[in-house]
Amino acid sequence: MNAATAPRVGLFVTCLVDLMRPRIGFAALRLLETAGCRVVVPDAQTCCGQPGYNAGEFDSARALALKLADEFADCEYVVVPSGSCAGMIRVHYPTLFAHDAIHRERVAQLAARTYELTDFLVRFANVTALPGRFEGTLTYHDACSGLRELGIQRQPRALLAKLPGAKLVEMPDATTCCGFGGTFSNKYGEISSAMAGRKCAAIGQTGADAVVAGDLGCLLNIEGRLRRLGDDNTKVLHVAEVLAGEPE
Amino acid sequence: MSARDRILARVADAQTVNRHAYADGQRRYQAPAPASDLAPLFGERATRLGSEVLRVEDLLEVPAAVARYLATYRLAPRAVCWPELIALPWSRARLEVEARAARDDDAVGLTGAFCAIAETGTLMLLSGPQTPATVSLLPDIHIAVLGAANIVATMEVAWARVRARHGALPRAVNFVSGPSRTADVEQTVTLGAHGPRAVSIILVGN
Amino acid sequence: MQITSAEFKRKASAALRDTQLQHALGRMQSHFVDKRAAAMRELPDVEALRDAATAIRARALRDLDQYLSQFERAATAAGAEVHWAETAEDANRIITEIARAQSVRKIVKSKSMVTEECALNEHLEREGFEVVETDLGEYILQLAHEPPSHIVAPVMHKNKAEIATLFEEKHRRPRLDDIAALVGEAREILRPHFLTADMGISGANFLIAETGSVMLFTNEGNGRLATTLPRVHVAIAGIEKVVPTLDDAAVLARLLPRSATGQSITNYVSVLTGTRRDGDLDGPQHMHIVLLDNGRSRLLGTSMEPMLRCIRCGACMNHCPVYQNIGGHAYGWVYPGPMGAVLTPLYAGIEKSVDLPNASTFCGACVAVCPVKIPLTDLMRELRSRQLAQGLRSSAERWGLRAWSWAAQRPNVYAWIARAAARLLRRLSGRRWLPGLSNWTGGRDVPTPEGRTFRELYRDRHPK
Repeated sequence: MNAATAPRVGLFVTCLVDLMRPRIGFAALRLLETAGCRVVVPDAQTCCGQPGYNAGEFDSARALALKLADEFADCEYVVVPSGSCAGMIRVHYPTLFAHDAIHRERVAQLAARTYELTDFLVRFANVTALPGRFEGTLTYHDACSGLRELGIQRQPRALLAKLPGAKLVEMPDATTCCGFGGTFSNKYGEISSAMAGRKCAAIGQTGADAVVAGDLGCLLNIEGRLRRLGDDNTKVLHVAEVLAGEPE
Repeated sequence: MSARDRILARVADAQTVNRHAYADGQRRYQAPAPASDLAPLFGERATRLGSEVLRVEDLLEVPAAVARYLATYRLAPRAVCWPELIALPWSRARLEVEARAARDDDAVGLTGAFCAIAETGTLMLLSGPQTPATVSLLPDIHIAVLGAANIVATMEVAWARVRARHGALPRAVNFVSGPSRTADVEQTVTLGAHGPRAVSIILVGN
Repeated sequence: MQITSAEFKRKASAALRDTQLQHALGRMQSHFVDKRAAAMRELPDVEALRDAATAIRARALRDLDQYLSQFERAATAAGAEVHWAETAEDANRIITEIARAQSVRKIVKSKSMVTEECALNEHLEREGFEVVETDLGEYILQLAHEPPSHIVAPVMHKNKAEIATLFEEKHRRPRLDDIAALVGEAREILRPHFLTADMGISGANFLIAETGSVMLFTNEGNGRLATTLPRVHVAIAGIEKVVPTLDDAAVLARLLPRSATGQSITNYVSVLTGTRRDGDLDGPQHMHIVLLDNGRSRLLGTSMEPMLRCIRCGACMNHCPVYQNIGGHAYGWVYPGPMGAVLTPLYAGIEKSVDLPNASTFCGACVAVCPVKIPLTDLMRELRSRQLAQGLRSSAERWGLRAWSWAAQRPNVYAWIARAAARLLRRLSGRRWLPGLSNWTGGRDVPTPEGRTFRELYRDRHPK
């Protein structure tokens, strides 16, 4: 990608990153810029509407979908450091507007140019040198929506394989849900904690220095459970943070 | 209006509202292509599911094979058999064989097979006056005599064969793929739940 | 069956603390998940097969009225009598009448989830008939007076020792500790029942429209015994179980056992067409087929219609991480797991089972393994939407949703709230309990935010 042809990429950081871990947003920004993209970050962005949508409140989800479509109207691509929010836009937005003749086309176009971060980097950016480095072993948890809605599995692993210093070790049942599930994690806290507990055990079996995933929701759930179980050592990192490293 | 009419009316009403089109345009499933030599494939699959497969050259050798089998397992030389098979020279092999439906106290049941399916290692048995269903069900040991020429590739081919030979279906078509089993206790597979504890297939010819 | 789904949370909580149950659930990965995966690998093109199976089931539903009529004609021509039941009560009444008319005393049953739906056993026992479940798992549950916790392995929640104790007490025989011996004892006890029963009751995995046949997939052989030895055979099935042809059934036969137990085929597959024929030496003299609606026709032509494609393999529950942690009893009705999260609200009452469609992370593992590609998570989401519309969710939740949606549509308000929340949560970090988040903090530490929001920091770094 050179400057003249560099695509205009809109970064949607997601509400959870905005609130809890801004550094993931900046890491995604750095990765996209390193890959030669012209990145814009629309200032009015809030939430993709998934919490309402999954609660069964479809009208607010539609309103937020149209808001997002407006904000990213002039971007060739929309990139999201979350398989779950990218899946919301790519898979569920078109369903929400399937019977809406006025907005259907615009939403479908938004969906078609929206990508999860690692998927985008592998597809469109010829990443040779990553800015980050990690000395130690990593284990990767496949977050559900990215995996099953968008087929995100090979992409993060391909990128992590290029990361200097890092060694990837697979955990058992890497594709089993960690128990987050948005509001599920609080509504059904005991079940959610039990599921997170199994995930932590799987992570523990690898002896990895860090567990990495592509969705902050899962990471907060896993981290919360690991710490509660007394594990203060295993790092819990978003794939963007690991790949981008610390800024100079 | 009867319950039947009410149910069918509800079904039909729903369908006029919304006759889904998504079932159309789907390609039909092509059953796996038959291997050129089905007998080895059948033998391998049947064995894997717990059947024992013995081979003889000729139908007339079957009684001796049965006698050897019963002797190996120290079973009395007695069996109930499908009337269809009674003409075989059982007494020459010193076997006491009765042609009838099976009873609870029969230890060994001798059946033929309409055909067998190589894909899954399965016997296909049709019920009828000459082929009572209980013979493959009540005894502890089920011995089935199968002509190698009667092995077909898939269940679809087997259905085509039934249509060609008989037109309509008999009362019972039973597909048997090994000894009766259960995994209800701790998901541990245990043989001989309610049906035969052992299934032995005598494959006749090449 | 009596529905107890309103107690979902309490029962799930108890299940998580039940060490014996947790041990049993630990077997699911190797016995169901891994075995299914291995069995699927034998197939040349699993996706093509799933598409074909989906199309067969969808075609059957599209022209269900015609296939039901065709089935009825063919079954009647083969000597069976077809009955139509609009409700569970109708089905129970019809079967009782058949049993009375045939002077039946003892009934042997082969496993059937539809009869659980109708609570048929309890009904027949009240009417004075002796009813014996003959599937080993169901027999154990009948002795223990418990409902099934899984549709394929109904007694998977019990271990060998519990079953040994139960047999010792109920059979009044010396205790056996070996699984094969326990299976052998059940066989000895149950064989005389098959021989003396007047009626056998079975379900149906499929009804074949072209031939009027009932198709059964079984492993133990009890299904064959119950439909061969007694003089009366009654098969009961939901009206959605019809498939057009024998060839269609052959396609589904490749998927049902693989999806259910990881077997390439079940030990027995029986296709039963009518009564004992002239000259036959065995088989029932009377065959009755009860077609049950019980809420099914209502789903046709609606967004819930895909659920009627279900072939009851249980793969969705085997692969559900929620089920894997809490087992089947918490779901409170006949069908547990993702299948039950959709079927229970639809058949037993949406207001009686509010937790079920909500108790899912939407991880999609069930959708990925469903042999007939039922979009289970989409259907659960649709049910959540219906709950909201019907006012079945708590007012706190409804107001929370409204507030969130209102704020998220107003970027400046949202930014202010997010900034405040980031700072507040930062101040509260390290606490083990937070109001409104007690279910989170029960098992997990509160995450600590960085303190400022992304939008704030980005604005600082990129001043306009």
